[in-house]
Amino acid sequence: MSEPTPTAPVGLDEDLYRPIEQTGRGFYSMAAFFLAVFAFGVYQYIRQLRFGLGVTGMNQPVTWGFYIINFVFFIGISHAGTLISAILRLTQAEWRRPITRMAEVITAIVLAIGGLHPIIDLGRPDRLLNVFKWGRLQSPLLWDVMSITAYFAASTVYLYLPLIPDIARLRDRGTRPQWLYRFLSWNWQDTPQQRKVLHNAMNLLMILVIPVAVSVHTVISYIFAMTLEAGWHSTIFGPYFVAGAIFSGIAALMVVMIVFRKVYHLERYLKPIHFSNLAKLLLVMSIVWFYLTFSEYLTGFFGNEPAELDVLMTKISGPYAFPFWLMVFVNFVVPVALLSRKKTRSIPVILFVSVGIVVGMWIERLIIVVPSLAVPYVEFPQHAYWPSIAEIGIFAGAIAAFCLGFMVFAKFFPLICIWEIEEGRSEALEESVERFRSYLPDPPREDALKEGRP
Amino acid sequence: MIRALQWLSIALMWGFALSLMVLVPWLVVVAARWHDALNWSLAISLVMLPVYLTVAGVLTYVFVGLQRGRDDRSSP
Amino acid sequence: MSETTSQLRERRWGMVIDLDRCTGCGACVAACKAENNVPEVSRRDAFSGRVMNWIRVAHSESQERHGPSAAYPILCLHCDDPPCTKVCPVHATYVGVDGIVGQTYPRCIGCRYCMGACPYTVKVFNWHEPQWESELRAHTNPDVSLRPKGVVEKCTFCSHRLQTARDDAACESRDVEESDYQPACVEVCPARAMTFGDLRDPNSDVSSMARSPRSHRMLEELGTEPSVIYLKERERRV
Repeated sequence: MSEPTPTAPVGLDEDLYRPIEQTGRGFYSMAAFFLAVFAFGVYQYIRQLRFGLGVTGMNQPVTWGFYIINFVFFIGISHAGTLISAILRLTQAEWRRPITRMAEVITAIVLAIGGLHPIIDLGRPDRLLNVFKWGRLQSPLLWDVMSITAYFAASTVYLYLPLIPDIARLRDRGTRPQWLYRFLSWNWQDTPQQRKVLHNAMNLLMILVIPVAVSVHTVISYIFAMTLEAGWHSTIFGPYFVAGAIFSGIAALMVVMIVFRKVYHLERYLKPIHFSNLAKLLLVMSIVWFYLTFSEYLTGFFGNEPAELDVLMTKISGPYAFPFWLMVFVNFVVPVALLSRKKTRSIPVILFVSVGIVVGMWIERLIIVVPSLAVPYVEFPQHAYWPSIAEIGIFAGAIAAFCLGFMVFAKFFPLICIWEIEEGRSEALEESVERFRSYLPDPPREDALKEGRP
Repeated sequence: MIRALQWLSIALMWGFALSLMVLVPWLVVVAARWHDALNWSLAISLVMLPVYLTVAGVLTYVFVGLQRGRDDRSSP
Repeated sequence: MSETTSQLRERRWGMVIDLDRCTGCGACVAACKAENNVPEVSRRDAFSGRVMNWIRVAHSESQERHGPSAAYPILCLHCDDPPCTKVCPVHATYVGVDGIVGQTYPRCIGCRYCMGACPYTVKVFNWHEPQWESELRAHTNPDVSLRPKGVVEKCTFCSHRLQTARDDAACESRDVEESDYQPACVEVCPARAMTFGDLRDPNSDVSSMARSPRSHRMLEELGTEPSVIYLKERERRV
């Protein structure tokens, strides 16, 4: 794929304001489409409220289906953002600058959608407040409520804080709606003191958000691991889920980046090098994921414990064999084959691999949730689980809600952190030269430092 | 008007954090009352509470800090 | 582990099922359904695996899994350390002072976590609003509440009968005796395969049967300490 050469003069980030200030017809037609899909999901949910969970395909013993799968999946995707952007900022990876914002937006939106899924799954959503009135902190579900709330709060704030200087820019440009930007910019005037405050706060949050993010998916894995079910009761589920979450998160981030790069013409900002770096990260996570999957299933297989083996066999050779091997193929074989060579690490290939991984990680959640339930310890009449129109409609609605949320965000706020790019242009170059020099064995020469030359 | 909205959002954040601070001890009370693994719920609540406080604290720090740090001569 | 388990308990109601006697006739299933107002489900629901039974009879032909052999009734085993109560987010299922694992239907939020956590798959869910044909509705048991849609339910050892027995005993100022309180399935079993009583009382029938060399509990290795004890079949000479 040929890359357009940068033509705009340095210092002009007009490209980033354009989507906010000029809205095309494409935007509204896409929004209408997603809104329609979303409305269909809402309609299906209303039907479910009226007729009960019987409208879904769930049964006994498969008492958890699409909703819980999607819950785990969406919350997994949410690790794209905050975690990756926090780690990249913390390690001062300079290539992070155009990526962090999108990653954080994904987190905030997907977390809100994923967090709703357990509620959609409830038989009695009208009694939701019982969780507060009679909640049992000892139940892993309450751990989830707590840690997802904390993560949502932390990641929304973490999205918002780096947004403040950009909002102030929009306010100063007179972009409408002014009241929104005036409200959200909180009198940002880019004074040194304000910069210091924001910098401190971001540093603190950056560090806070990493353990919180790790805790979220660990706790989600505990929902399964704390029970005695074969295939769920596993000690490595915590790290396994976290690794899978980061893996699917990076893949989703790449898909979003490639799509919006095309739609909003961000080729100047999101260069092949960014995708190449993220692809390497994706490759590493793919291998980590495979390693954990392998460890998880080998212990079950080698131990030969009957219940554990029955679950394993339904996965690898029983009714779930096709999704299982598809998952291994798209999550491990394809990424390793395509991303490990420089020649094939091009943007269209990365898009293909990433879409595969997002699908593959969804299947992974399915492979974890359903077979363990479908093969209980004690003999039970078997019934295949097939999702009904309700579950499919709500799934489609959730995806539409995500797209819609992202579009609306992009309508009001820049998708690339403008001040971070500016900072990168003006300061980071010198800073990183200094930093590199401090890594070297020879002590920096005073005179060279003063003169500011290498 | 915008000022009021801003303070309202800070108040909401604190309302959120504080209501969780009330909720978690209440759940511990429930656990104690029903003789249901009190020690475990205590342990879990001790992990959860500081997180919310920190988030609310950081937000307040930023908002107050930005107000203090602004240049009053050119304020809108 | 919850503090309720040992210190606070007065009794521990339990059941012994002699698999040598069980013929798999299914009388217990029918009696239970009538006694506890367990709703019939529509034909469509039945085919998609939503049959509601608080007790079911598994047969050895279909038994590829790791339970006991032959025809054996499975009901809630009222574990001493139940995996289901541990995961409930709202205290809707709990171990009572009599060792009976109870369900509080008005509090249940229908998350179905307990169903997934139960290794014995004995909990059922109200996928739809329960419906009775008009005659059956008129003959529901007034002692047992009707469950709304969206909540989990399961065998309670007919604890409403314990309630009645307690009231009767209190009127006569005496303790509840085993003969006062028997679940419907035990009462109806034509082969007398089921025996019910207090496992805490060393002289009770259940206690002495539980000491039999044939006795075992389902999935003992999980450490759930069920109150339902199975006596396996004796070897037969052909």
